[in-house]
Amino acid sequence: MSLADTAPADARVADPVRHRGATGRLVRSELALVLGRRRNLVLLVGLALVPVLLGLVLFLAQDAGLAGQGPPFVARVTGNGLFLVVASLFLCTPFLLPLTIGIASGDAIAGEASPGTLRYLLVVPVGRGRLLAVKALGALVFAAVAVLGIAVVGLAVGAALFGVGDLTLLSGTTVPLADGVLRVAGVVAYVGLSMTGLVAVGLFFSTLTEVPVGAMAATVVVAVVSSVLDQLPQVAVIHPVLLTHHWFDFAEMLRVVPSADVLAQGLAVQAGWVVVFGALAWARFTTADVSS
Amino acid sequence: MDTTPVSPARSRTRTAWAVPAVAVVAVAAAFAAPPLLASADTAGLPPVTAEELVTRVLEAEPQALSGTVVHTARLGLPDLSMTQVAGADPISLLGGSTTLRVWTDGEERSRVSLLGTASEYSVVADGTQAWTYSSSDDEVVHYALSPEDAARAQGLAATATPPADLPTPEQLGRDALERAQQDATVGVDAATTVAGRDAYQVVVTPRSTTTLVGRIVVAVDAATWTPLRVQVWSSDDAATPALELGFTDVTFAAPDAAVLTFSAPPGASVREVVVPLPDDAALAQAAPTDLPTSLPTDPADAPLPEGVSVTGTGWDTIVELTDVDVAALVAGDPAAVSGMSGIDKQFGSQGAQDLYEEFAPEGDGPPVDLDTAALYDQLTTPVEGGRALSSTLLSVLVLDDGRVLVGAVPVDALRAAAGA
Repeated sequence: MSLADTAPADARVADPVRHRGATGRLVRSELALVLGRRRNLVLLVGLALVPVLLGLVLFLAQDAGLAGQGPPFVARVTGNGLFLVVASLFLCTPFLLPLTIGIASGDAIAGEASPGTLRYLLVVPVGRGRLLAVKALGALVFAAVAVLGIAVVGLAVGAALFGVGDLTLLSGTTVPLADGVLRVAGVVAYVGLSMTGLVAVGLFFSTLTEVPVGAMAATVVVAVVSSVLDQLPQVAVIHPVLLTHHWFDFAEMLRVVPSADVLAQGLAVQAGWVVVFGALAWARFTTADVSS
Repeated sequence: MDTTPVSPARSRTRTAWAVPAVAVVAVAAAFAAPPLLASADTAGLPPVTAEELVTRVLEAEPQALSGTVVHTARLGLPDLSMTQVAGADPISLLGGSTTLRVWTDGEERSRVSLLGTASEYSVVADGTQAWTYSSSDDEVVHYALSPEDAARAQGLAATATPPADLPTPEQLGRDALERAQQDATVGVDAATTVAGRDAYQVVVTPRSTTTLVGRIVVAVDAATWTPLRVQVWSSDDAATPALELGFTDVTFAAPDAAVLTFSAPPGASVREVVVPLPDDAALAQAAPTDLPTSLPTDPADAPLPEGVSVTGTGWDTIVELTDVDVAALVAGDPAAVSGMSGIDKQFGSQGAQDLYEEFAPEGDGPPVDLDTAALYDQLTTPVEGGRALSSTLLSVLVLDDGRVLVGAVPVDALRAAAGA
C-alpha cells in the first residue's frame, strides 16, 4: 500500500484526540447555535403565534353565531381555555410542526457542510458518533421547544381569554381541573415524542447532502407522503407503521380511560423510526468523506 | 504488493452499514413477533358438541368485562366517506372498519364508545335510562322513562315472580338449536383464538341457496362462554366476512364505576327523549311471550303488528311493510322535530352554512335533514317502481306505492315477492 492510499483513509478513520469536557462544550455551543439562530427563533415565534391567532379569532367571533363549529377541539376552546393548547397542537401537527422540525433537523449536518464548517467541527476532539449525537440532541431540543412553545403560549392565551376550568373529555365525562391539566400535559408530551421519528429522518437526510434545503425538503416530503399514504385504503396494511399514522392518537388522553396500548403503540412506531434512521445516519456520517 | 487486503477503511464502512441493516431487521421483528406469538395453539381444548356449546352460552352468567371491539363491514354499499369526515358517528358502522370500546358490569350498566380521530360517540346505559354523547357536536341525548312509568317499572320488577315452569338453559338451548336446524346446519368448527383467548366456533349454514347469507360463525370464549366474535359471511364472497364484530382485546373484570356513570357535561346541548312504557294491559298480554316455555316453532305464528306481513320461510323470509311514508321519514319525523328546541343544522364550513341558510326552508315546517336525505339518495339506487338498497347481506326495496320489502335475499327476489 502506498502512502497516498492510506493517508486519506487514516484521516477519515482516526478519531481526534479526546479531551475531557469537550462533549459538554460542544453540547452547549450546539444548543446556543440551534436556539440562538435567528431563523430558528423566527420559526418558533411563528409557531407560537398559532395559538395567539386562533385564540383571538375565536374570542372575537364567539358571538358571531358560529360558536361550536370548526375542526375538533376548536369548538370547545371558548368554553375552556385548556382546549386552546389541544386545538393549536391539532392544527399544527399535520404540517406546520413537521415543516419547522424538518427545517431544524435537515439543517443539522448539511448546514455545517454547506458553508464548509463541518471540517472544522470534526477537528474538535470529539468522535463523529458523538458529534452526530450532539447534533441530534440539538434538533430534538428544538422540536421539544417548538411543541412546548405552542403549549405554553396556548395555555397563557387560553387562560387569559377564556379562563380554565373542569375539562370535558371526548367521552362526555367531566374531570377536575388538575386532572385536566395532567391530561393536556400528556397530550403535549405525546405530540413531542411523536416528532422524534421525523427528527431522525431529517438527521439522516442531513448526512446525505451538503445542500441544507435538500435535506429539509426531503424531510418534509417524508411527512407529507406518509400522511397521503395514510389516507389510501389500498395500502391499509402498512398504515400502522407509517410515521404519521399515530400522530393524532394524542386524543386518547382525552378519552375517559386512555388506552395505554394505543399510546404505547404510537410511541413504539416512533422508536422504530428513530432506531432505523438513527442507525442509517450514524452509518453514513461515520463513514462519509468530509471534504467541506 | 502482490496481495491487496481489504483496506481497514472499507471494512469499517461495511461494519458501519451493517448496523442499520441489523436495526431494520430487529425493528421489523419487534413489530411482527407479537401477532405471531399471540396465535397460541388451541389443541388443549376438550371437544364439545354444538348442543353443549349452545347450552353453555345460555347458562353462562353475564360477565363484567371491558375491551376493544373492531367492527368491519364489507356490505358493498356506496362509499360513505363524505359522512365520515364529520367525526365519530354510528353511520360509519355501515362500511369499513370501526373501533369501539365496551365496558359492562354484566348487569345493567354499560358504556360503548365509538372512536373516531379526535372524536368519540358514546352510549351509556344505566338500568332504565340511557345517554348518547357525540363529541363532534357536543350533544347529549337522554333516553328515559317518564317518572310515572319508571315507578311502574320498578313496581313490576319488584312484584314479578318467575313462573314455575321457566325453561332451563339446557331446554332453551336444545329448542334454539332445533329451531336453527330446521333451516340450517349447525356445526362446531375448529377452535380458534380471539383476543388472545381460546374460543370455540359455532357455524350456522343456511340450507337455502337463494339467501344472501352464506354462513354465520360465532366464536365463544372457552372459559367464560361469552361470545367473542361474530362473523357473517355473504354467499357472494367466500374470502372475507361481510360483517365482522369481534374483540381484539378483552379483560374480564368489573370496570371502574366512573366509566359506567354519565352526567351531561356543562355547556352541552341536552335533548330529552321519553321512552314510552306499554300500559299494564299490553304488558300482561306480552308477558307470556316474554317468557316462553319453548321458542315459537314458526315465526309466522307470532302475532304481527298491523301493516306488516311476512312471506317466505327460514332464511328466505321477506318482511313487507305497507303504507310507509318514506319521504317523511327521510325528511325527519315531524312529530319528533317539533318537540326539539332550537333545531339548527350546522356545518363545518362557513360556505356550506351560508348555502344551507340561503336555501333552507323557512317557517314552521320541519327542516329537511339534508344529511339523512343525502344518505338515502346515496345508499339507494332507482329501480322500476321505486328505489332499492342492495348490500351483500340484506336488500331493501322501497316502492313508490308505500310498500317496503326487506329480506336477506337479492333485490330481484324482493321484486318478485312484491309482484313489481
